[in-house]
Amino acid sequence: MIPGLRWALPALVVAACVGYLIYSASGGSAEYYLTVGELRSHASGGDVRVAGVVQDDVLKSAGGLRVTFTEKDATASVPVDYSGPLPDIFKPGITVVAEGRLGKDGVFHARTLLAKCPSRFSTTAYTQ
Amino acid sequence: MLGYLGAGTLLAALVMGGFSAVLSFWAGWTQNAVMVQVGRRAFYTATAMIVVAGAVLEWALLSHDFSVPTALVAAGFYGGQEGSLLYWVMVLGILGSVSLVASASLGVRLAAYAAGVMAAIVSFFLVVLVLVASPFDLLSVTPPDGLGLNPILRDGGMLIHPPVVLAGFASFAIPFSFAAAALLAGRTDEAWIAHTRRFALMAWSLQTAGLVLGMWWAYHVLGWGGYWGWDPVENVAFMPWLATTAYLHSSQVQEKRGRFRAWNFGLVILAFLLVIFGTFIVRSGVVPSVHTFAISEIGPWFLAFLFICIVFSTILLAARSQSLGSGAEPAALVSREGAFVLQNLLLIGVVAVVLWGTVLPLVSGMLGQQRVVGVSYYERAAGPLFLLLLLLMAAGPLLPWRRAAGRASVRALTWPAGVAAIVLIALAVAGVRSIPALVALPLVAAVVATCFTQYARLGRGWSRLPGMMIRRRRRYGAYLAHLGLAVLVTGIAASHFWQQEKDVTLAPGQQVTVAGYTLTYAGSDVRQLADHTELVGSMKLGTSTLEPARATYAGLGGQSLTHVAISTTPLADVYVVLTGVDEAGSASFRIFVSPLVIWIWAGGAIIIVGVVLGNVGERAAELEAVRRRVPALAR
Repeated sequence: MIPGLRWALPALVVAACVGYLIYSASGGSAEYYLTVGELRSHASGGDVRVAGVVQDDVLKSAGGLRVTFTEKDATASVPVDYSGPLPDIFKPGITVVAEGRLGKDGVFHARTLLAKCPSRFSTTAYTQ
Repeated sequence: MLGYLGAGTLLAALVMGGFSAVLSFWAGWTQNAVMVQVGRRAFYTATAMIVVAGAVLEWALLSHDFSVPTALVAAGFYGGQEGSLLYWVMVLGILGSVSLVASASLGVRLAAYAAGVMAAIVSFFLVVLVLVASPFDLLSVTPPDGLGLNPILRDGGMLIHPPVVLAGFASFAIPFSFAAAALLAGRTDEAWIAHTRRFALMAWSLQTAGLVLGMWWAYHVLGWGGYWGWDPVENVAFMPWLATTAYLHSSQVQEKRGRFRAWNFGLVILAFLLVIFGTFIVRSGVVPSVHTFAISEIGPWFLAFLFICIVFSTILLAARSQSLGSGAEPAALVSREGAFVLQNLLLIGVVAVVLWGTVLPLVSGMLGQQRVVGVSYYERAAGPLFLLLLLLMAAGPLLPWRRAAGRASVRALTWPAGVAAIVLIALAVAGVRSIPALVALPLVAAVVATCFTQYARLGRGWSRLPGMMIRRRRRYGAYLAHLGLAVLVTGIAASHFWQQEKDVTLAPGQQVTVAGYTLTYAGSDVRQLADHTELVGSMKLGTSTLEPARATYAGLGGQSLTHVAISTTPLADVYVVLTGVDEAGSASFRIFVSPLVIWIWAGGAIIIVGVVLGNVGERAAELEAVRRRVPALAR
């Protein structure tokens, strides 16, 4: 695209560098995005993200900074332990994405907890 | 009744738009000047009908008595999926009409094809609006009033961020239409660049404003102490901005030196494709995002449209590849052109990084287990590229056009280099050991020094500066925008490298100190407001009181909402989030101290001011030079 072969070498060098950066960065920090069902059968030791629906057993302590609850999808459920401020819309029934890892105790220790942001609403969201 | 009126006008607009597209293409093919005008007028008519449909929708919203502030009801226009598409096509119609009014001077074929391409894009949106996502669809039963706008969205940010971002998205279609028309007409000279320069700048400025406003909104509403999360929705707004930034720079090379023709076509096309791709990503729900958008039927339509645009653009570029070379003699590697090339390559590199991070869930999902990347991926992959871009911002403007950098440019570079060295030493002495910080901030200082060097150099002394600033405002505006970006990057760097965060639980009267700021918890209070209750935890900071709160909306199933309290000074923001109050009256807080956050917002404002001031009034001398060189423009 760039006129003249003169630019071809710098272009190739930049492209190679960008390629290397993408490769090295995504190799190190790409996380698996799993459903709760897949979490049980997933062997990797690294951090993963798990999406599921918050169940009714929400237990808050430490002034609301620590919370335990069960995350569930169509096939399985997992207890989650998380410390930190909760997303505003956090409550039983919403979908959250927990980022962290499954401990030996069978509890998912979340480092971050994201709620699906209500950028869009459908009338069913509140009646479910 | 209103519903039928709105739907009817949209259908009429579609017919008009389709008519305009077909007629314009035909008129361009046969070079029929009269029919070109008819095609343009059909486009204006379609736009007028879209505006009527928009007015009907707005009227329907406002005349209904919702018990929320009028401004927020008005925002319901673009708050819904269908309305946002209508708003988009309305902006495109209006700006497109403006861009077409003066297009006759570009010659019959270019003007005709530009109207044709634009009308085709408008028609695509109208097809979606009429067939798939009509804002005027009538429900079979009258629903009771909804629960109201979600409290998170009841904010000034809702009034300004979405329309600005959408208008920015819509205006990318104008440079694209003229670029495609220039290729269709075989007019690969600078005419289309000169004609659409202001629209490209406008698209870029709107997108800049939209991105900064989005950051500001996320920062002061969401309570996570941050402003940018590399979420897919943010990424797809960022990528067209990057491509357009590249274009705004490389198009100068073509204006001044007649080079990079194919590249400029490619960049404008890429920006538009990224806009359509972004709309597809956001509206189809194919990648996991914190934002939830309705997974609607319009996804496949945008995917098909994206595919058509890619094929159409590729064929056009390939068909014209013969005439895209330039006769100009090649420039040296270390020259202004060389800096622009490298800057462009790096910006496209950042686009590649962001694009890969955005589509990885899609690609990996197709190949097996879905994988996602987090913030660290973007920092590690795009960070070094951003640092190199800063280096170019500091050095590039001081390099001469065409010829290799000589002794004069080396001398000019000593200023920014010296300033960078001083900042580096100062930071090292102050105990900064983070390598990225030690690279980024001296580079920002060098950028600032370069801008001031240019102001001094171009004005040939400070006394003549005011007059020169007005005469050569385009260049000075550009350096003001560079300064604004330097301010913005300083804010991002400082708050990124030195944000402090602390979780505390305090009994009334207890103190906590974060980054030298001492906060005293004064006590909590419950306030009953019209539709929600507020649990307020008062914090004393010096003489002022911060009141972070948690609001609970009983009418919305007990949804709670954080009210962040922020104490802003030019040096740092103290950002307090109340997480809860226990029975004993002790309250828990998460406290952030983020240095220089206000610099981000100020930098964004300076960028916009620079672009606007640099481009008001008469066409700049540089554009006149293009007009003289390209005979067709003088006609």
